[in-house]
Amino acid sequence: MPNLHIATLGIERIVPRMADMGVFIRLLSRSALGSPITQYTTHFRGPQKGGEMHIVLVDNGRSARLGMEEFWTSLKCIRCGACMNTCPVYRRSGGLSYGAVYSGPIGAIIDPTFNERKYSTLPFASTMNGSCTNVCPVKINIHEQLYKWRRVLAEHHELPFVKREIMHMAGKLMGQPTLYRTAINGTEVALSSLPRFVLYNWLNPWGKHRELPHPVKQTFHSWYKKNRLKDKKESKGGKA
Amino acid sequence: MSSRDSILATLRANRPDPAAHELPPVAVLGDMDAGKARFEDALQLLGGQILLPQEGDTLATAIARRFPDAKIICSAVPDFEGTIRLEDVASPQQAAATDVLVVRSPFGISEMGSIFLSEAQLNSLNSAAHLTQHIVVILSEKNLTANMHTAYVERPEFHTARYGVLMTGPSATADIQGVLIRGAQGVRSLSVWWE
Ligand code: SF4
Repeated sequence: MPNLHIATLGIERIVPRMADMGVFIRLLSRSALGSPITQYTTHFRGPQKGGEMHIVLVDNGRSARLGMEEFWTSLKCIRCGACMNTCPVYRRSGGLSYGAVYSGPIGAIIDPTFNERKYSTLPFASTMNGSCTNVCPVKINIHEQLYKWRRVLAEHHELPFVKREIMHMAGKLMGQPTLYRTAINGTEVALSSLPRFVLYNWLNPWGKHRELPHPVKQTFHSWYKKNRLKDKKESKGGKA
Repeated sequence: MSSRDSILATLRANRPDPAAHELPPVAVLGDMDAGKARFEDALQLLGGQILLPQEGDTLATAIARRFPDAKIICSAVPDFEGTIRLEDVASPQQAAATDVLVVRSPFGISEMGSIFLSEAQLNSLNSAAHLTQHIVVILSEKNLTANMHTAYVERPEFHTARYGVLMTGPSATADIQGVLIRGAQGVRSLSVWWE
């Protein structure tokens, strides 16, 4: 056993009193594993006899984050991992795909505070289902912060050109149902008839390693219009 | 300005208004049952065991029955012999050769089924709590505290021990969708003997 113990930790790890530890020990393992406590819960108050112990408190942007009104509560994270375990994106993509030390939903709102450009896409990798916020034991509004980060990143022009333009178009499209439906029909036709080089090129980084989804024969909307809408009209007509 | 001063200055400038975030009173929540049954249930939930005496058993005979193949039984308590005393284990590494370590814990937590050990019980050979194959912990019912909150508020050990560990069952590891493996990084079994 070496006689030197160096512990590095973020400044946000500090709790005010020894007695407050009970709250956090209780929350941690329950939210992480569903067990009451971890098997070894260790308390280091000082070095072993004849040894040395050093504690290095790391800031690395945390004190600056404390001043970000919409994002400072992310400092409350106790790293239990509950938000990751529940996240549909994380569960399919895994931690490495985030390309940062902090992965999962909490990573997606912390990482941009370290480097807005490098992690500009992370807040967009969310379906906004809010499951992370629901399970978070320290009640960080993760999905709301994901949404707020999107706005901040767009304002800071940290979105890649293609994504920005597509978002503009998507915004217009989705605001107008008729236009949207025509476009969807067009997409289905395009997906099934256009040659590969038109669909897979630099404008479509998503298609670099993946195939685009198979075109469907009929969208839900057109199916609904044909079947259900007709039934409804008929039954209404019957009553009258 | 040292980095320490600049961090503190930024923190002071950026902190949310302290008046709006008062320090809450110390929380003492939850079930206040400091009983033996609750402790045993919690311990067994995490794979720990109770070493139950049979008719006429002593700790020595109970250990011999539970660990028939144990060769090195190391004692950290004055009232149990063993084959070697913890004081005679020369280096932290040598603790790895121990089959069974017998140690007395100053207190347990009923809510968690945890027992506490520090350098005071381990003769400053803290590695023994990790490297030993099996550990038998002598515990008294009167030294049980109800839960995590009462433990931190009541127990003086947290303010004196340099190294203090709460142990709950054998070591275990399990990642998402992984297999639960017991004994991979620490003791393979933990048994409590009531005194
Ligand atoms: S954000 Fe909440 S749920 Fe996610 S790791 Fe941190 S404390 Fe756990």
